[in-house]
Amino acid sequence: MNDDMVISLKGVSKTYRDFWLRPMVNAVDGLDLTVGRGEVFGLLGPNGSGKSTTIKMILGLLAPTAGSVSIFGLSPQSVEARARLGYLPELSYLHPYLTARETIMYYAGLCDLKRSVAAERTRELLKMVQLEDVADRSVAGFSKGMARRVALASALVGKPELLVLDEPTSGLDPVSTKEVKTLVKALAMNGMTVLMTSHLLADAEDICDQVMILDRGKSVAEGRVSDLGESLEEFFLAKVGNADEFVLADFLA
Amino acid sequence: MQMSSFWRIFLLELTAFVRSRSLAILVAASTVWMFAAPFLFRGDGTSEGARQLVVHYSLGGVAALLAVSLLASATGAIARERAEKRLQLTLVRPVRYMTVALGKIAALSAAGALVLGLAALIEAARGDVGRPCSHLLSPVMQSPQDEALEMYEAYMKDPRTPEAVKKARKPVVVRLLAQRAFDRYETVRTNDVATWRFSLPRGTDDADIVKARMRFTNSYGMRQDVVGLLDFAADGAMWSGSVRNNTQAVVDIPLGASGRNVVAEAGMLSFRNNGKSAVMLRPRRDVNLLIPADGFGWNLLRAYVELVSILTLLVSFGVFLGSALGRPVALFTAIVSLAVAEMSPSVVEQYPDELEKDPVDAIGLHITRAAVETTHPISSLEPLARLAEDTCVETRETVRAVLSNMLVAPLLFAFLSALVIPRKTSD
Repeated sequence: MNDDMVISLKGVSKTYRDFWLRPMVNAVDGLDLTVGRGEVFGLLGPNGSGKSTTIKMILGLLAPTAGSVSIFGLSPQSVEARARLGYLPELSYLHPYLTARETIMYYAGLCDLKRSVAAERTRELLKMVQLEDVADRSVAGFSKGMARRVALASALVGKPELLVLDEPTSGLDPVSTKEVKTLVKALAMNGMTVLMTSHLLADAEDICDQVMILDRGKSVAEGRVSDLGESLEEFFLAKVGNADEFVLADFLA
Repeated sequence: MQMSSFWRIFLLELTAFVRSRSLAILVAASTVWMFAAPFLFRGDGTSEGARQLVVHYSLGGVAALLAVSLLASATGAIARERAEKRLQLTLVRPVRYMTVALGKIAALSAAGALVLGLAALIEAARGDVGRPCSHLLSPVMQSPQDEALEMYEAYMKDPRTPEAVKKARKPVVVRLLAQRAFDRYETVRTNDVATWRFSLPRGTDDADIVKARMRFTNSYGMRQDVVGLLDFAADGAMWSGSVRNNTQAVVDIPLGASGRNVVAEAGMLSFRNNGKSAVMLRPRRDVNLLIPADGFGWNLLRAYVELVSILTLLVSFGVFLGSALGRPVALFTAIVSLAVAEMSPSVVEQYPDELEKDPVDAIGLHITRAAVETTHPISSLEPLARLAEDTCVETRETVRAVLSNMLVAPLLFAFLSALVIPRKTSD
């Protein structure tokens, strides 16, 4: 495998089954995807298009029904691959009994960082996400935006080579959204590979080098944002159609 | 083993247990129970009976409370995190799934050990830690299994043996005969002498105060009137005593030493029936020799370690169930399993007939017997009963409990959890 290839999906399908193992939904259907080192790749698509399922397969949380998934040329479930990975889920899912500092220290420990190194890195990250003043407060009382910043710091604590962001600006105010976008761009400038999903096409347009549009589990378009020649929103609607609007029109009629 | 990850998960689980106030509630409930127990239990009218009840049920109550609450926490340790989606954030880190399960098992077991340790300290503070305890020895006899195999041929040829038994498979009949051999009564008629051989712990000498423990009940559980003489002869030394009993089912008979300076390794206990009626005894159950061991303090420590090992086993099982099932189903399964483990031995003892013809009853009996065999590591340990009656919780049993319940079982259940965690995580 090419050393510059960070993520590789070949003919990947995922079928969810019911209790009796009968197929229920084909969430992803024969997907091919490659992400190179240092790229910021956007996975776009309407609800139910298979973005989260694809991300879970890349993270090793789901096994594909068919096809192969590798990150850094390794199985995503291998400890070696996971050591090079950072993940920010759509919701922050923080441990309610920990403080912000303890949360980041916990994930630093899971990344096998020595205590002194972990403490130093935690300090840096708390400063970066501007939570130094509330570092020793329980995250249970944090606003959604603050929790999001703790989760982002936790994702970055192991200095990952690949950062997977699921709706990174979800729930953030405009100022925080801008800060996150700036941060992701800075990380990419420093050579970090970023895979992100977003419903906000403007975000993807601002951050991503390359995008793939999914619809009903299949890739309907893929290309560099700079090569589109039109706005991402127009491109998206042309490829996927504004299905939600049709449904809304039916309802209103 | 990834020690850094293990400690992080251990500390996280323990921190959650402390900050959710679960630990404080358990400590408070256990302390109240330990101090309230002496006022709640009335013994058989003797101070010794009252002491035994308090020792048994005060620590037993705390152990039961911990068993249920830790099982509930253990089933939620992974299942709750999975349901609340936090588990996936751990699983995408470079941590082995087995380490996740082991960290949680260790944390909850440590919390249990802490609460139980406080209860044990209260027990030690109010009891006499120097109070002597004894090794409980059983007669050296052929194993019931060997006795059953010897009986098998003759039993099958006996015309009185029912046809249904003759058609049954040999292992079934041997098991029934072994049970019969274990419970076999020996009748000691008036002026007859019954003798049983005992191996003694190394270093037993005639300065030791030896006691014989005898259970004088017949097959209907009725107490028997007994008058008799007991002699224990070992390598030239002789201990003697007499028994006159018409009130108690279990009697400890002190045997006075001959005063000869002899160290013995084995000896013969003989009982001469001087009463008017025959005495029935099941030697494997009803005759024991008590040889001095160390004190209550050490016995309490060994009982504590055994109880912690049992809690660790339960926690390991709970964590595994939580890995494989949703939390409510896991908790229900764990509680049912605990109840089955607790009740199965008495069910099998009361309904031992494997020749049951009703298929539903037969299946039920097979399942119950399987439960008895599976849960033997827990049910065979009786630390509290032994602690209460001042018989020694043997070190070798404690070591075996530690190895099986605190080492093998957690590793096994963590391994099984590691197999199911990735399959369940993304549901």
